[in-house]
Amino acid sequence: MNKIRAVFAKTGRAKYISHLDLNRCMQRAFKRSGLPVWYTEGFNPHIYITFALPLSLGYESGCEIMDFNLTEEVPEERILSALNGAMPEGLRILKVYTPSTKHTDIAFAEYEIVFSGEPEAVSKSFQSFMESDRISVMKKTKRGGVKEIDLKPDTEVISLGIRNGSFTAVLRLPAGNEKNINPSLLTDEFIGQTNIGAEVESVRRTGILSSSGEDFF
Amino acid sequence: MLREKIEKLLLKVQKPARYIGGESGSIVKDRENISVRFAFCFPDTYDIGMSHLGMKILYSLINEREDYWCERVFAPGLDFEELMRENDIPLYALESLDPIKDFDFVGFTMQYELSYTNVLNMLDLAGIPVLAKDRDDSLSCIVVAGGPCVCNPEPLADFFDIFILGEGEEVNLELMDLYKEMKAQGASKSAFLKAAAKIDGIYVPSLYSVSYNEDGTVQSVTALDGLNKRVKKRIIKDFDSVYYPDNFVVPFTDIVHNRASVEVLRGCIRGCRFCQAGFIYRPFREKSASNVCRQAVELCSNTGYEEMSLASLSTSDHSQIGDILTGLIPYTEKEHINLSLPSLRVDNFSKELMDEIKKVRKSGLTFAPEAGTQRLRDVINKNVTEEELMRTCTTAFKGGYTGVKLYFMMGLPTETDDDIRGITELAQRVVDLFYSLPDRPKGKGVQISISTATFVPKPFTPFEFEPQATREEIMHKQQVLMDSITSRKIKASWHDPSTSILEAVLARGDRRVGQAVYRAWRKGCKFDSWSEHFKFDMWSEAFSECGLDMAFYASRRRSFDEIMPWDHLDYYVSKEFLVRENKKAKNAETTPHCRSKCSGCGVSREIGGACFE
Ligand code: SF4
Repeated sequence: MNKIRAVFAKTGRAKYISHLDLNRCMQRAFKRSGLPVWYTEGFNPHIYITFALPLSLGYESGCEIMDFNLTEEVPEERILSALNGAMPEGLRILKVYTPSTKHTDIAFAEYEIVFSGEPEAVSKSFQSFMESDRISVMKKTKRGGVKEIDLKPDTEVISLGIRNGSFTAVLRLPAGNEKNINPSLLTDEFIGQTNIGAEVESVRRTGILSSSGEDFF
Repeated sequence: MLREKIEKLLLKVQKPARYIGGESGSIVKDRENISVRFAFCFPDTYDIGMSHLGMKILYSLINEREDYWCERVFAPGLDFEELMRENDIPLYALESLDPIKDFDFVGFTMQYELSYTNVLNMLDLAGIPVLAKDRDDSLSCIVVAGGPCVCNPEPLADFFDIFILGEGEEVNLELMDLYKEMKAQGASKSAFLKAAAKIDGIYVPSLYSVSYNEDGTVQSVTALDGLNKRVKKRIIKDFDSVYYPDNFVVPFTDIVHNRASVEVLRGCIRGCRFCQAGFIYRPFREKSASNVCRQAVELCSNTGYEEMSLASLSTSDHSQIGDILTGLIPYTEKEHINLSLPSLRVDNFSKELMDEIKKVRKSGLTFAPEAGTQRLRDVINKNVTEEELMRTCTTAFKGGYTGVKLYFMMGLPTETDDDIRGITELAQRVVDLFYSLPDRPKGKGVQISISTATFVPKPFTPFEFEPQATREEIMHKQQVLMDSITSRKIKASWHDPSTSILEAVLARGDRRVGQAVYRAWRKGCKFDSWSEHFKFDMWSEAFSECGLDMAFYASRRRSFDEIMPWDHLDYYVSKEFLVRENKKAKNAETTPHCRSKCSGCGVSREIGGACFE
């Protein structure tokens, strides 16, 4: 059995495919591809696919990760072309390879967030927002409750600037099983606090990193 | 431009993937190279519409033509509709995301009566005047409808330019070809409609005028401009070689039926007297086993579906069902595909078929005896005997099944309280049967669920003359049923008769009923088939405001010589046959199925030869 990892982009119309639907969508794409994929055993066999990090509905990404198994050795270029031939609009496999890391090694993700509104003003207020001592928000816990957390120590600003006439922030946030922070926690708080008519126009995941800060793939 | 506006709102609604297209198998063409654009509308939500097979067939068929482009349109959910109206987003098609008011054809498939108000709502949301008379005479945006409900399209006559009667595979393209030709000549819409009305299967309601008697019944229907007095439905003569898609649009979201389906036969040999489909889709035609298998494999490998179904009114009536299953099962097993066989009949549920099915699934079984006593089953010509049901249940129980779901109708012609109690007695005998079997599944009890639906008399059936049971009568029958159940192994469920009453009114309504449909929609009625949205009070109000009586349409007995609102439409089955069958029904006399003996319904005359060799 050959373990394979695929890095794929999710853009355009495909960004409205929910995480649950993405699994089903990939099952069918794999079937269409004709690749010798491995099925789970048992009463209701299905193609074994695991996704590294769920992506929120509506976010684009250039770096989604899924692992699957092939029952035979297939050259990487052939896997790539067979899969891309079977993908719907907006899903594109960027590369496939034999993985050497585990999904649990993932520690951070980077997001490029584009804001609407007057860019200079949004830029200024975002900077002062990021300079506050604490950024307390209420976060849902896995058990269904809520608790207050401080986003400040976990948020790393990679870059801020005005691109194509919109204020754009690139942020690094904890991601993975241990601790996962969705950028909307931060942006909702920012939009709620400041009152300058800014809104999040788009969010795109641009990187997934391991705990050492290296690119995960 | 429109796309940006749509995308701004999508994250605010439930299941946004339904509103943006882009699914595998969806067909996007270059607008510049298209001569005729067709918006195929299903008047219900995406989840329901995308489960519908007829739409998939016609979608692919039209798109085979390079310069024609067919796109899909569904009714948005209430949350998205509200946002669309607030933000001036007109109803658009999923492939191009272009507004459908700019299309050449806006076509609806009418599968059930309770979707009528959705049509009006969708036209309105599209920015198309709802009433045909309010639309201008330029040759564009022709509003058409097909599907089983258009066998009596009169309640919809005010809203549509054209109805397409019967099977669409040939006539849809003929209509589009004519449009393309006349558009190039700069013709007007009215000229186009007159020319289209000469095509077999095309009914232009504005070219037929209706007059009424004082008692409210139809006096006459007159064809204008020397058109044929009666409009014939279309059928595909060579069903085995008719076009069938080799790919489907594969939705991202979970919909009702998300699977590869191959249509294995059309029509039905049975002639159950309550079943409209059994008459309007005649004659019975089947696809060869080799074609079914080839199409099924093609469809599965192109869609990647993990479930396949063999679709028809009665799949086990296929003369080669054994060959089909033996041909498909090795493939489905190897490819991990579930094979589902809907519409299996009780009476020919053989041991062999059972074994084949058991290989692939082991869930609950459903049977539809439809009536509780043999007498009443003979009345409706549901040729299932109790012995057959028991034999099938024996096989099923021995095969490990412990749950059986039984479907019945309530309010059938000649039905008495004894027939209702017969439902419970029948279910009880199935329970007794279970415990009488030494080799029944061990450690488990048996559970029989009884599901009842209110009978709705439909056009082109032998019961088109019959009154529907009134609400009071149905309530009484339900009480009788509940009182007769004493075992905890038997559970019964039913539906509120209100929707069935409206269904009966619309099914046999005349042209005047259109005003009530319009008013009901104006009052906010839509998604009438969803019990949480159904507003019977609004409908009653709408009818009385138009001076119409719902009971006149639902629960009035028609004489055999009354002119029905649909009598000028020719679905091949003759009135004499329907009358004959109605009389036989009253005497509880059965009619054999078409394969064993032709009953001379009139269809063979139309197709120029016997239905079976
Ligand atoms: S003509 Fe005879 S065989 Fe053909 S559909 Fe009618 S009853 Fe059946």
